[in-house]
Amino acid sequence: MKIRTRIKQWLLPLSMAGLVSLAGLAQAEEILKVGLVAALSGQSAKSGEAITRGLTIAIDEINASGGILGRQVELLRRDDESNPNKGLLAARELVQKEEVAVLFGGLDTPVSLAIVPLANRMKFPFMGVWAAGTPITHNGADENYVFRVSAVDELVDEALVQYGINQYNMKKPGMILINNPWGESNEKGFRKALESRDMEWAGIERFESGDTDVVPQLSRLKNSGADALLMVANVSPSAQVVKSLDRMGWDVPIISHWGPAGGRFSELAGENADKVHFIQTFTFVDDQKGKGAEVMTALKNRFPEIKTLADVTPAVGIANAYDAMHLTALAIKNAGNTNGPAIRQGYYNIDSYDGLIKNYQSPFSPEQHDAVGPKDYVFTHFVDGRIVPLDL
Amino acid sequence: MNFPSMPRSIPLLVPGLLALLAVVASVLSFTLGGYGLLVLTLIALTTTVCSGLNILVGLSGQISFGHVAFYAIGAYVSALMTMAGLPLPLAMLTAALASALVGALLAIPAVRVSGPYLAMVTIAFGFIVHHGLIEWRSVTGGSNGLAGVPMPETGPLPADTGLALMACGLMVASLLFFHRLATSGWGRAIRSVKATEIAARSLGFNPVQTKTLAFALSALFAGLAGSLLSPLMMFINPDSFPFTQSILFVLAVIVGGAGTVFGPLLGAILIVLVPELLSSMAEMRLLLFSGVLLAVLWIAPTGALGVLQARFARPPKVIPEAKPDQQRLADFLTREGNEARGLEVDAIGIRFGGVQAAHGVSFTAKPGTVTSIIGPNGAGKTTVLNMVSGFYAPDTGRISLDSELAGLSAWKIARAGISRTYQTTQLFAGMTVLENLLAGMQRGRLGDCWRKPQAQRVALAMDLLALVGYRGSVHAPAEVLPHVDRRLVEIARALALAPKVLLLDEPAAGLSRADTDRVTDLLRTVAGYGIAVILVEHDMTMVMSVSDRVLVLDSGRPIAWGDPEEVRVNPDVVRAYLGSTDYQAPPRPQSWDGSRDATLFVKDVVIDYGAAPVVQGVSLVVNPGELIAILGANGAGKSSILQAIAGLHPASRGSVVFNNESIENLDASRIAGKGLALVPEGRQVFPELSVRDNLLMGAYTRTDKNNLEQDVEQILTRFPRLKDRIDSPAGLLSGGEQQMVAIGRGLMARPSILLLDEPSLGLAPAMVAELYDALAALRDEGVTLLLVDQMANLALQVADRAYVLETGCVVHSGKAESLRNDPELEAAYLGDNVA
Amino acid sequence: MITASIISGLGMGSMYALLALGFHITFIVSRTVNFAQGSAMMVGAVLGYTFCITWGLPWIVAAFLALALCAVYGLAIERFLVRPFHSRGSEAWLMATVAGGLLMDNLVMLIFGKEPRRFLLEPVDHRLEIFGSGVNLMQLIIPAVVAVIVVALILVRRYTRLGKVLGATVQNPSAARMMGIHVNRVVAVSFAISTVFAGIAGLLIAPLVSVHSEMGMLFGLKAFAVAILGGIASANGVVMAGLLFGLAEALIIVYLGSTMAQIVTFSLVIVALAIRPNGLFGSRTLVKV
Repeated sequence: MKIRTRIKQWLLPLSMAGLVSLAGLAQAEEILKVGLVAALSGQSAKSGEAITRGLTIAIDEINASGGILGRQVELLRRDDESNPNKGLLAARELVQKEEVAVLFGGLDTPVSLAIVPLANRMKFPFMGVWAAGTPITHNGADENYVFRVSAVDELVDEALVQYGINQYNMKKPGMILINNPWGESNEKGFRKALESRDMEWAGIERFESGDTDVVPQLSRLKNSGADALLMVANVSPSAQVVKSLDRMGWDVPIISHWGPAGGRFSELAGENADKVHFIQTFTFVDDQKGKGAEVMTALKNRFPEIKTLADVTPAVGIANAYDAMHLTALAIKNAGNTNGPAIRQGYYNIDSYDGLIKNYQSPFSPEQHDAVGPKDYVFTHFVDGRIVPLDL
Repeated sequence: MNFPSMPRSIPLLVPGLLALLAVVASVLSFTLGGYGLLVLTLIALTTTVCSGLNILVGLSGQISFGHVAFYAIGAYVSALMTMAGLPLPLAMLTAALASALVGALLAIPAVRVSGPYLAMVTIAFGFIVHHGLIEWRSVTGGSNGLAGVPMPETGPLPADTGLALMACGLMVASLLFFHRLATSGWGRAIRSVKATEIAARSLGFNPVQTKTLAFALSALFAGLAGSLLSPLMMFINPDSFPFTQSILFVLAVIVGGAGTVFGPLLGAILIVLVPELLSSMAEMRLLLFSGVLLAVLWIAPTGALGVLQARFARPPKVIPEAKPDQQRLADFLTREGNEARGLEVDAIGIRFGGVQAAHGVSFTAKPGTVTSIIGPNGAGKTTVLNMVSGFYAPDTGRISLDSELAGLSAWKIARAGISRTYQTTQLFAGMTVLENLLAGMQRGRLGDCWRKPQAQRVALAMDLLALVGYRGSVHAPAEVLPHVDRRLVEIARALALAPKVLLLDEPAAGLSRADTDRVTDLLRTVAGYGIAVILVEHDMTMVMSVSDRVLVLDSGRPIAWGDPEEVRVNPDVVRAYLGSTDYQAPPRPQSWDGSRDATLFVKDVVIDYGAAPVVQGVSLVVNPGELIAILGANGAGKSSILQAIAGLHPASRGSVVFNNESIENLDASRIAGKGLALVPEGRQVFPELSVRDNLLMGAYTRTDKNNLEQDVEQILTRFPRLKDRIDSPAGLLSGGEQQMVAIGRGLMARPSILLLDEPSLGLAPAMVAELYDALAALRDEGVTLLLVDQMANLALQVADRAYVLETGCVVHSGKAESLRNDPELEAAYLGDNVA
Repeated sequence: MITASIISGLGMGSMYALLALGFHITFIVSRTVNFAQGSAMMVGAVLGYTFCITWGLPWIVAAFLALALCAVYGLAIERFLVRPFHSRGSEAWLMATVAGGLLMDNLVMLIFGKEPRRFLLEPVDHRLEIFGSGVNLMQLIIPAVVAVIVVALILVRRYTRLGKVLGATVQNPSAARMMGIHVNRVVAVSFAISTVFAGIAGLLIAPLVSVHSEMGMLFGLKAFAVAILGGIASANGVVMAGLLFGLAEALIIVYLGSTMAQIVTFSLVIVALAIRPNGLFGSRTLVKV
């Protein structure tokens, strides 16, 4: 059953891609290409899938309403294997060979960082929809071509620390961070946030994504007197932390970056999953209304393997990509052509857009390349396998 | 790892192709746009890494699954230096040297291990570097890496084009370097060690040195390539250098053709370009790419270029002169100080486990004389040679050649002036005849990594080849030489060291009478140059005619020492060779007169081991119930025939019919299933299985398993001494007992014919008698037997008929009793002089 | 904490040992190593999950089916990725098994999905308290099961016909052929055994980690390190090395943190091999000249 639907799922886009490219030969002028460079295989493959879904739904909507500048939009996707070299190569291919108008980026901050200088040098818009590394948009270029519809690590860290203080009266947090670029960049953010408040921390513990047992690290934090945990890790390592806490029998508040939203966290982590409070830019809920409900329906129609809310993880990836695509469409419309500098200006000229995450009002300006800010962050936790906003 | 290797160059073909490559690459650098240029640059850098890796894999025969670490080290060093404002060329140089240094350090553990162990050491190294880059945050920027690596100043050219040109330059340089390295002194040393480490050591090469060199050189190129990657990408982090990239590098070298100059280029194109061609497949790309890789491996498992090269690159045929330049040769071979005492061996001995392989062996070999060491199989002759040449360190005794040598490593002993040949020739496969000699002339020195061999050395090599009488092409690869030429070239190579002492281990084995006579003359000539020649040999004609002194060993102990005339008449020596004539087997009650409907019929069988045939058109018949013996000296081809019949080493021509069925194309296991059992030379019991399990294993193919226990009991009745040991591991039994287990194991199959290969080898006389009684009993019970035994007198005691083999041909056959006192038989063993 | 770490180290160590025994068994029979071993482990876990959770079969049936398919996978590896090269004297089987593993990882990703899933087996998902440290019941089951398998392996090798045929092939392949043993078949069986071991390892570890297509890669590599460290030709050595490796890793995590674990353990492997080039428990073979 499952296998068959999976195969169907791949046959459909493949055959469609084939048809589209055939059609494309005949009317190349008519197509407006946008590119995506993201991890489509390996450990982070799920993120690439979510971004693909978000972009696809948005593009379907755009094409249904006549496309951009009268041109149908086509998405070209490339696998970066989480390797910056591959990402840069793919970016070059999409921009120079396929001549995409805009390039979307994936989950890995290093891959995005590798593409940023190229975008600024070659003047093509690069839209980040996931990677939260601060320097991606704050890259110091005179003419910055990098935009983002996603969280920003430093701001998230700030928000997490503040949340801990407000909700748990946190005095001495311990950090439990995944040992990868993301964890490393948040370590900096947490230090900054804590130092600015003159707070001390119980320790900084890192662990590998393959670790089956995080008890030693957690025990060290416990022994140093941690009264809350600040956690940054992808979904399954996050689950390992919760399971290790279970084994230790240590009941401690966990304040987390958005890692747990990346998959079936409650299934992976077990009954204590709901104790983890994590940040989100968007969540799908049962009684969704308005745009969220429309997108959910569209997702179910377009991707038959989506049946319940648990199948649309990570929601942030879908929502960020969806909004980013619509914002990009507006930017290109503003520009009137697919010229890089013009599109850049087009982004600045967006007045408002009522998106999935929020109602964007002048989301971009030369000083502000991040459309989503701390005010848009929501704290959530898992209840019965669904992500539910916390009532604060 | 073993790969067919080495281009045998057509002059200027490689330089010409490299020039073409340089031109094409430059043109592309100027014409390709951004993306294409990046792909080109990456192909060039990958080729550089793979060309370096080719030194390790193709020339040195090692492997590295951690090469991306050197690439990473180069990239990080260069990034850090250029970010600190230092010029790129300086950064490149430093990166290359740093990588080479790390490579040399990795070699310390790496050269000690081989096979999967080496693979693991390099994998571990790769992981350590990867995680080191993550953890050493203050320098490497941790997992977020180094951003903002400056692009190089390239004057009027765009930086992209400049980098592409530099990368292509590196690529061409690395390929050219490989080409020159392969045929330089370094290259010959590295390749010699790869081809056979044992022979390389006895030419004075230090394997640790050459392997370390290969590691360092190959790391150097990876580092060099890496140093251009960081300005190209402008951003690097540890994820830029994933473990899978290391595997892809190795794969590129292998599928391109390890050891070929252009293989890495093909491989690099494959691993860089194919993923790009598949890029639109998005998440299916890796899947399809691994499928493509598998397909390529299936099509060309030993490398695309190797296949092509073997077909098209035919080296020119150059044959040495018939007569060498005597003066030049004499100048080269005659050493100063030949009044020296020569080689003095004093009471050396060695033990392996519980076995005293040699004990109290002493002899002197004066310059200009030929000293022979003889003795039956297992007497310890080769063991003595191995101690003298440094492969075994003697437990006791002294070996001196002007200075004390006992216990020194083989390469030091070779440099001290002792060179040797081997029982099975150990020429350097993958190198030409000429290169084999040139490697010898280096006398363990590395020389340089660039120059072609000097004309004078080539001329000398030609002289040596002329001296030994080699008449083939000097550019022929050593591995395709016929057997006799291998012997000759190996002697020439040993002479290329201009040794004081030349050790020869059975140089006549497998040679025809005429060829043996030529070698005999050659040894005299060699001794004439003042070289002390030490000969281990079974061919008595040769030994008796060429030796000044003869040492006879039996069971590791010297039993005679004197000139050939004395030794030949020594009764101990005769007994040691032909076997005792004391033993009298119980004769057949009445002589055999069974069916002539042959059980086994061998017709015109030719057997070779990739070179000259060792068996040339032998036919023989075994009738039901007969005991047939195949006799002949060592190397006559007796065992080869049995192995061919049993399917272990199929005959290249001829037919074997067993119970009216052709079996020459069947696998050994199928043949065994048809009721043919071989009791192999050296027993080959299963050492860790109990005696009972060994016997039961013999019944593996039997369909009726009802009477197994009964049959085991029967074997025990036949060989009563096995009773007490029935449950102990067969490996712990004495040689004779193991032989009984092996025969019993063969009988358990209830075979229609039992083949026995050298059953008496290495057994004490009492044990031999017991064994032969058992064989006679089997014969009388009507079991069909085909027996090979060097101890002709023994075999003829029990046999009905016999075939006498000499150099792969049946020279004599007939009834056993008529052969028993035939002088021709003795001649086949101890040489014509005896008759 | 130390108690918990030692238990966890023994659990992981016996996992490594089981996987490494897979490397060992193909090596002794054919001198080849199946680098797709990690993927076989993943296949075991993924199939077990699919049969047990997705299809809802009883776990014992699911485990049996998963292992049977693992055996088929092993036979396929031998037939298509090893034999074509090994029989020609080429060592490209090494690259072929690596590529085959990569292929399988990606195939599973596309079919099974990219999401890590939890293989929750209610009956064994228990928290226990041992000397004041909390452990999961599964952490105790793993070494127990592995111990049973090791003992079973010893018994099979010592007392059954299959074991003796295997032993004969290992001790002297050419003599084994003379006995009529089809060595090719024994090699194929050894690959099936090795992937079944890997499948068992996958099923055992699955409840403790999450099930996804990439889960086998690192385990496979570490197990290879264990096999080499122990001396790949020695079964006892491999098992000992597995336990040692697991314990060392756990203790390094306690004292130096898990980020240093790979650096330190792999450095120790290199040092150990530099000192004992045939592994900690391997024996040196005399070079024959």
